[in-house]
Amino acid sequence: MKRRVVIVGGGAAGMATALGLESRGVEPVIVERDTEMGGKVRNWHKLFPTFTPASEILDPLRRSIAERNIECRTGVAVETVASDGVTLAGGERMAADAVVMATGFTLFDARRKQEYGYGIYDNVVTSADLEQMMNSGRVRLADGSMPRRIAILHCVGSRDEKVCQSHCSKVCCITGVKQAIELKKMFPEADVFNFYMDIRMFGPGYEELYREAQQSYNIHFVRGRISEASPMINGRIQIKAEDTLTGRPLKMSIDMLVLMVGMRANDDNGLLAASASLDVAPNGFMQSRDPFTGAVRSPREGIFYAGAVTAPKSLADTLAEAALAADAVVDYLNRTQR
Amino acid sequence: MTFFAPFTLPFIIGAAVMAAVLVAKYTLWTIHLPAEDKRLIRRNMFSAKSLAAVWEVVRESLLHVRIWRVNPMLGYMHSSLALGWFLLIAIGWIETVAYLGWGWVPLQGHVFFKYFMPVNGIAEHKAGFEFAMDLMLTVVLSGVALAWIKRMRSRLMGMRRTTRHVAFDRIALSALWFVFPLRYVAESITCAIYGGGSFLTGTTGKLLGEHLDSATLDALSEPAWWLYSIALGVFFVAMPFSRYMHIFTEIPLIFLRRYKLAPSVEEKSYDNFEVEACSRCGICIDPCQLQADLGIDDVQSVYFLRDRRYNMLKLATANNCLMCGRCQTQCPVGINLNTLRLNSRAKLRNIPNEGRYGYLAGLDRSTGEGRTGYFAGCMTTLTPRTLAAMNAIFEAAGDDVWRADSDGGVCCGRPLMLSGETAAARKMIDYNTGLFRRHGITRLVTSCPICLKVFREQYDLDGIEVLHHSEYICRMIESGRLHVDRSDELYTYHDPCELGRGCDIYDEPRRAIEAVGRLAEPEHNRRNSLCCGASLANTVIDDKQQRRIAQRMAAELEATGAGTIVTACPLCHKSIERVADCGTMDLAEVVAKNILRDKR
Repeated sequence: MKRRVVIVGGGAAGMATALGLESRGVEPVIVERDTEMGGKVRNWHKLFPTFTPASEILDPLRRSIAERNIECRTGVAVETVASDGVTLAGGERMAADAVVMATGFTLFDARRKQEYGYGIYDNVVTSADLEQMMNSGRVRLADGSMPRRIAILHCVGSRDEKVCQSHCSKVCCITGVKQAIELKKMFPEADVFNFYMDIRMFGPGYEELYREAQQSYNIHFVRGRISEASPMINGRIQIKAEDTLTGRPLKMSIDMLVLMVGMRANDDNGLLAASASLDVAPNGFMQSRDPFTGAVRSPREGIFYAGAVTAPKSLADTLAEAALAADAVVDYLNRTQR
Repeated sequence: MTFFAPFTLPFIIGAAVMAAVLVAKYTLWTIHLPAEDKRLIRRNMFSAKSLAAVWEVVRESLLHVRIWRVNPMLGYMHSSLALGWFLLIAIGWIETVAYLGWGWVPLQGHVFFKYFMPVNGIAEHKAGFEFAMDLMLTVVLSGVALAWIKRMRSRLMGMRRTTRHVAFDRIALSALWFVFPLRYVAESITCAIYGGGSFLTGTTGKLLGEHLDSATLDALSEPAWWLYSIALGVFFVAMPFSRYMHIFTEIPLIFLRRYKLAPSVEEKSYDNFEVEACSRCGICIDPCQLQADLGIDDVQSVYFLRDRRYNMLKLATANNCLMCGRCQTQCPVGINLNTLRLNSRAKLRNIPNEGRYGYLAGLDRSTGEGRTGYFAGCMTTLTPRTLAAMNAIFEAAGDDVWRADSDGGVCCGRPLMLSGETAAARKMIDYNTGLFRRHGITRLVTSCPICLKVFREQYDLDGIEVLHHSEYICRMIESGRLHVDRSDELYTYHDPCELGRGCDIYDEPRRAIEAVGRLAEPEHNRRNSLCCGASLANTVIDDKQQRRIAQRMAAELEATGAGTIVTACPLCHKSIERVADCGTMDLAEVVAKNILRDKR
């Protein structure tokens, strides 16, 4: 009999893990809360640092899942997890030989930083909103005109104790650089500013892209967080910040403010963890067994992790981890052969 | 009769030292009072204020009415000791006069009357006096017993924590604990030898007489009186240097307060009266959230005043306080704890920097006019939903408003004030005052209670009515200028420290909320409301600690079952918003949401 593994979450991590397991003779079942597979990447336009369209990664994944007839239960949430299966909302029990949690993350709600005016006045958007606008093919101000000056603010809901998010979300720095270049390509006449605390260019090609943004696209980088944004009578937005390199306060009126929203832990991590006696890290993400050889293992035998459920990760890291998780699951199933 | 025995020497010396120190302290403090304070004393001394002060002395120094209100057990303890001891002295004096007439009797003659005249010739009234003295001694002894219990098991007295004391306090405290039991023993032995006494000393004397022979009693008598005298002497010497300084100091304090003297943003001689009137009862410890939520136990008002009095105050202690004012509402002596802490900060910290404020010149780019000036406050610009709501309210009320701090206003000065930078704050205050005057406003509305407090207390804004937006909104609704729709929604309200205890505004926000919905009160509200933890006044605790305080207070608000937590301070708003599961709104938002536009 084929061994069965339940994968919680049908995003990039879940799908890639499922494919890895299937190719090794295990029967994966994906449970996705959303009505559609694909997770957060579904709403992304292009990926850093290569400007690869997100669909080029996601579509093959979805196609393979369909071709190999991997069972997907969409539109249903998981309420409890255990090493021998999960319970779905409504009480249905799904038995399994192992469980992989690939539940990902939640985008920080920018309305919690009220001082930036998201949801209060026009032309304040999040990085995710901008991707959707680019997907729809139309990036414009609320009145339909083109922005002439754009500010991108990094670390909104990351490294910010005031909103109880002290961790770094890792991907926003490079996303800010990527989006700045995209905006500059769309609006060559516009001035684009990045307001940052640190620029963390940790991945291959990131630093090069950062340099290119400055040298080829003339994108401005100002070290200092924006303290507040307020609406002006003429419909523009006035921002106040401090340029911490020159030590001077600055005021600037802009047309569009893009907030690089961070990745925060899912609210139901705590409940899921409690159902299986798993650990939640202080930042709310699930705690791996150890950060080295046990990154995809939970402290409980038979429960595994893949992707951003344990920490903010780029898509590349997530896909690599999915392969690792599939390996770890197969290894576990072989050891516990009945 | 000379009324002298060697054993009285410790008492006489102790009393003389105490009197000399007290006279020296009070004289010096009075001499160093600023001229303005002296003028106030001269002006008010011969007025009804002095009579009111006498009455307050009776109520507070003898009866301790305020402590009764806070905690009846503690009230009884203090009253029994203070009033009981006072009556022991007073009745003792009357007794002496009754037996010896109006002649001069030295002090020790009154105090050790029983020793000097164990048997006196006049039989009439004797039983009465003996009974009264025994009764008072019993009352005082019961107070001492409670004091013992408070030291050992403070919870039995309704206090979770009690004060840790310095060496002088321990000496004085130990002496005081033994004064009355020793008096009881000495008088009982004298009664055993000579007879007399009433239900307490008389009965004990009889018992002693039955069990001990007269030679033993004679041998015990002198040492017992010696010990009693020594205990008194030690207490008196330690007293002016210990917490018991409050016994006498509260009296001049009450008079001076009645003469309108008060501490200010700068230290002055008057502060000595307040600082040394602290009895270190420790009532201020339990209400402190730094204590209750964070376990910080060495910064509370009692320790702050202690450190300041003994010149060992550190800036870190002075700064580690939310200045929420919860302790001040409970202080039985009514000490201005927040102001004293502020002027300590100013003394330790205030370094005027003239060059830093050059930018104030040429800053004013303000335009527009209006009879009402709206000073949003910098925290309000960080909560723009409140700002948008206020704009909607001003528009609906048909008020033409000049935005006082959008183009040219500077910080209200209160944050600088709170950190002791009084001189820098004064620059802000003078600048803003000039700005308000130039625009000729007659009303100043602010959304920030922190600004409100400094506008009301430190600005000279004669002719300009200063209102918090809760007062303004309430007035607009009640005068019919703002029409709102009342729904069934359940709200709960958090009293911001600076608005409630700081500016005494409790009802207006509630009336405004009740105009648009229903209101549920949390466990601690109004004068006892909890601090949100984000107070600008505390520059020591970190973000995590602030959050822990906020979580505790938000839990109480959520326990009301309300769907939305309403507050009227942008700082509280931010602090609650990040820890509460239910929605958080400013009062202005709640009202603006329910404005009926067509009625106008």
